Amino acid sequence: MKNLARRVVFSLATFIALAVVSFVGVDALPGDGCTALLGRFGTDAKIDACRKENNLNDSVVVRLKDWSGDLVRGDLGYSIKRDEQVSEIIIPRLRNTAVMAAVAALIAFPSAIVVGLLLGRYPRKLISKAVNQFSVIAMTLPEFVIATVLWLVLSIWIPIFPGVSVMPSNASLLQLLPNVWLPALTLAVVIFAHSMRTMRASVTNVQNMPFVESARLRGTNERKMIKRHIVPAALPPVVNVVALDGAWLLTGTFVTEAAFNFQGLGRLAIDAISDRDTALILPIILFGLAVYLVSSILADSLVRVFDPRLRSSNR
Amino acid sequence: MKTLVRFNFLKNRALIFSVLGFHAFVALLAPYLRLSSTDSQDSAALLQGPSLNHWLGTDSLGRDVFSRLLHGGRPSLVIAFAATAISCLIGIVIGSIAALAGGWIDEALSRVIDFMLALPTLILLLLISSFFGQDPLILSVALGLMYASPIARVARSATQTLLARDFIRVARLQGGSRISILFGEVLPNVWRVMFTEVAMQFTWILLAFSSLSFLGLGASPPTPEWGLMIAESRSYMTLNPLLVIAPIMMLASLVLAIQAMVDHE
Amino acid sequence: MITTLTQSQILGFSNVTVRIKNEARDSRPILEAIGLQLERGETLGIVGGSGSGKSTLLRLAAGVLTPGLVLDQGEVTTVGKNLLVATPAERSNIYGSVVALVAQSIGESLTPHLTVLSHFRDTVSGEAVDERVLESLAEVGLGGEKYPYRYPHQLSGGERQRVLLALALVRSPQLLLLDEPTSALDVSIGSEVLTTIDRLQRSRGFALVCVSHDLGVVSQISKRIAVMNQGRIVELGQTSQVLRSPSHEYTKALVSSIPKLDQRIRESSSQSNETVLVCRGLGIVRGQTTRAIDSLDLEIKQGEVVGIIGESGSGKSSLLAAICGLIPLTSGSLKNGDGYDLSTALHLRPSKILSSIQMVFQNPDDSLNPARTVEQSLSRYTHATKTQICEALNSVGLGEEFLSRRPREMSGGEKQRAAIARALLANPQLLLLDEVTSALDVTVQAAVLTTLADLQRTRNMSIIIVSHDIALVASFADKIIVLRNGKLIEQGSVSAITKSPADSYTQHLMMLSAQRSLT
Repeated sequence: MKNLARRVVFSLATFIALAVVSFVGVDALPGDGCTALLGRFGTDAKIDACRKENNLNDSVVVRLKDWSGDLVRGDLGYSIKRDEQVSEIIIPRLRNTAVMAAVAALIAFPSAIVVGLLLGRYPRKLISKAVNQFSVIAMTLPEFVIATVLWLVLSIWIPIFPGVSVMPSNASLLQLLPNVWLPALTLAVVIFAHSMRTMRASVTNVQNMPFVESARLRGTNERKMIKRHIVPAALPPVVNVVALDGAWLLTGTFVTEAAFNFQGLGRLAIDAISDRDTALILPIILFGLAVYLVSSILADSLVRVFDPRLRSSNR
Repeated sequence: MKTLVRFNFLKNRALIFSVLGFHAFVALLAPYLRLSSTDSQDSAALLQGPSLNHWLGTDSLGRDVFSRLLHGGRPSLVIAFAATAISCLIGIVIGSIAALAGGWIDEALSRVIDFMLALPTLILLLLISSFFGQDPLILSVALGLMYASPIARVARSATQTLLARDFIRVARLQGGSRISILFGEVLPNVWRVMFTEVAMQFTWILLAFSSLSFLGLGASPPTPEWGLMIAESRSYMTLNPLLVIAPIMMLASLVLAIQAMVDHE
Repeated sequence: MITTLTQSQILGFSNVTVRIKNEARDSRPILEAIGLQLERGETLGIVGGSGSGKSTLLRLAAGVLTPGLVLDQGEVTTVGKNLLVATPAERSNIYGSVVALVAQSIGESLTPHLTVLSHFRDTVSGEAVDERVLESLAEVGLGGEKYPYRYPHQLSGGERQRVLLALALVRSPQLLLLDEPTSALDVSIGSEVLTTIDRLQRSRGFALVCVSHDLGVVSQISKRIAVMNQGRIVELGQTSQVLRSPSHEYTKALVSSIPKLDQRIRESSSQSNETVLVCRGLGIVRGQTTRAIDSLDLEIKQGEVVGIIGESGSGKSSLLAAICGLIPLTSGSLKNGDGYDLSTALHLRPSKILSSIQMVFQNPDDSLNPARTVEQSLSRYTHATKTQICEALNSVGLGEEFLSRRPREMSGGEKQRAAIARALLANPQLLLLDEVTSALDVTVQAAVLTTLADLQRTRNMSIIIVSHDIALVASFADKIIVLRNGKLIEQGSVSAITKSPADSYTQHLMMLSAQRSLT
């Protein structure tokens, strides 16, 4: 418990430090919200007027104070370029990405763990080699290639799913669903291989440990072997991968969302960066950091459930 | 179908080396082969299928796909080599120094490595390339710095494992200086592990740049680059599917061959 | 084919030969023409060095054949069945209830995430599980309420071995197979475990086969003994008979190689009065809090051989590491014969001082850089010429052909000799030997010790030899120091300590040693 509290505090401190660094860093980039809004049409006078209106001429420190004050109160800021509150831009897209991430996770993780277990335990069959080759290929190909291939196969050649979507970001859940499948499937393929291979390697590793043979030589049957001895010992590395890839599903999916024009957080990030919309970029970065830190803590806590050696500090 | 699976593509050394050789040949020699120019647009022959003049057809601007294909790996390969070299240099030096020095130096360097590992690389790359132009030099350096930390971590742990071994202790007892031990005892035993990590890094950097190009933030048109070609031609896939399939095959075969070679070691 | 209970033979090997798969006909098999029978309730010990095939034989008795090996000819019958061809389900039924194998537990033989009680639940079910478990544990000496709920990492080595024993015996099998039951344990702990095994065997009456490299271990619990060498059984008979008058050459060598308290491997030499090392109030703290050594005084003269006896946790390795400068001292002083302060860090010492103290380590697999040939490893820091290297190799009994050999092509004994040669090339005044023969077969150990004795005599080196084996130290050293938990328990000449040990701990070690060397 003490350890957990310490980690949370440390992560909070890291988050704050990184938030400040990000603010200053993004601020240092050429241009600001006003140049983004006015673009090529901005004369010096217009830009100046815009800046005065939006308090952009204050010093970095003052702006940092204002911004962090707003943040703590829940106000994510205002995008000059889009003339909208940042929270209203981000939240619907966050929901879309979350739905896509959830679908991808539900498709990929359970199947990866089961397949990994089976391949690790019964490696000689032909199907094992086939799945292995497939997973190496899936793991090595870049996201945009997988997205394009799936699109080719499942939208053009065999028209099951709609391809590049044209739905608005705040579409209802029902309208969202048909557009979720291809991106979610792409993401599922990308992360399936990683979890599956980790589980398989872990199971193979655990099987060679003395305690597995020791249990077998005591007369433990196969079902009990898998359930009580092998799976719990094999899960810790997989938990780490699931946490890492799970965090990635929420924060790193730009390429897939771009490929399918899916109106999620990733698509927004790319647009914001292309638009130089600093007010939007910052909250997205912070969200990514927060997700990463939280998933780290969750992963470590979960691993302790499976490995008693990490729990207490005796011996 | 069974034979397809039985013939384990990924383990066949001859196949791996011929694919790698082919890519090396193409990447190095493309400009010297007598190919059509990658830029000349033939507005009369847009989106044509394969023909005698254009072996793989033409794209939406009338450019020859075959020639663009053969040139398409060069931008990412150049950047990948440069960035990998930078990240190796920085990573191995930092990692092994951290392990050798121990104490507070090790603590400090480890914190730095952890911090760098926590950074969201793709977002940073997007930011850098968007705000600082798509200058290959800047991108290489940025990629090199960002990917130095995984290498540093592996170098550090490999060195630490080695330092605990008895023959290193003997080297110290017989007067070996730290540098001499590093080069004489540590590195010859560590390079295998490092090689795998470095090769994987190379692949990631290569793919990161291709992905950037796909998003429009890497190689800029009209440069022929596989990721960019795929992005440009997606809408015309039904008219000339080769436009998309060919660059996919090239990219996929290169990356898989590298991966298979690494798995072999 | 169910075995009938009237049949009294519980284990039978008839002309069994095991080879590596796909190997040529003329290469040496792992097991050759093995024939032996075991009756119900009988005890049999199998002794042999590494590579003798004893573990393979034991596992065959349980119907387990390492992948990569193949049964070339012969048959193994365990409790009337041929377990090698049984289905996994049949074997699952037999393991634990009829036959139990306790494998060598170098690593973790207990599942780290299960409590002791959970381990039993694998195979024991029904209403009174908890009570049965408590009973089983009490029988192996782990009585009380706390053990069932402990996790393996919370148990000591001896406790873990007892749990494995309880797990094996809980369903009262007729045949118990033990593979190196005490190799990972300290001598005193191991001896207690053997006593427990002996007691259980007498009260429950199961048949027992025990495999070990240690003749003393096997003789403590088995009435009959089989001696194995290079895949063959070279001698088989009643334990007392075989030990008193061995008939086969190998058995004779084995019995004579065991260090005995009253048998000197090396004659005591006369020493000069010059000191080589002086330690006063030496203290070493490792990590944050562990006191590895607590205020030790020690003096070594030129040409003197000092033996340090200690079990694990005694601080012996830390002491050696501090003496040669690999780890720092936290208190006290350490000087050489000329007054030079040996607490100076290694990289600050002049090379003459550095080379005056050299050490050879325990693990032969770790001593040499795997990427280098012997010549490279030996010359790299000593800058010795080829002639000098050849001389050094010869003095440890290795020929010139070893110059170009790599560690993976060498046996454990050869690697240790090369490591000794490397230490000698620095021409040390003081040579530190940290359990250098513990990982070697006892016959190889005897040979290496003889070589060391010759080297000590010709060079008049001072030596500190550390071992857990008091008989080894007593037969080699001039002076003995007994360490326990970082403290010096007793110090004196070999004859003084062995004839009249003052401390009860020393007496205990002497008694155990006598037991093991069969005197």
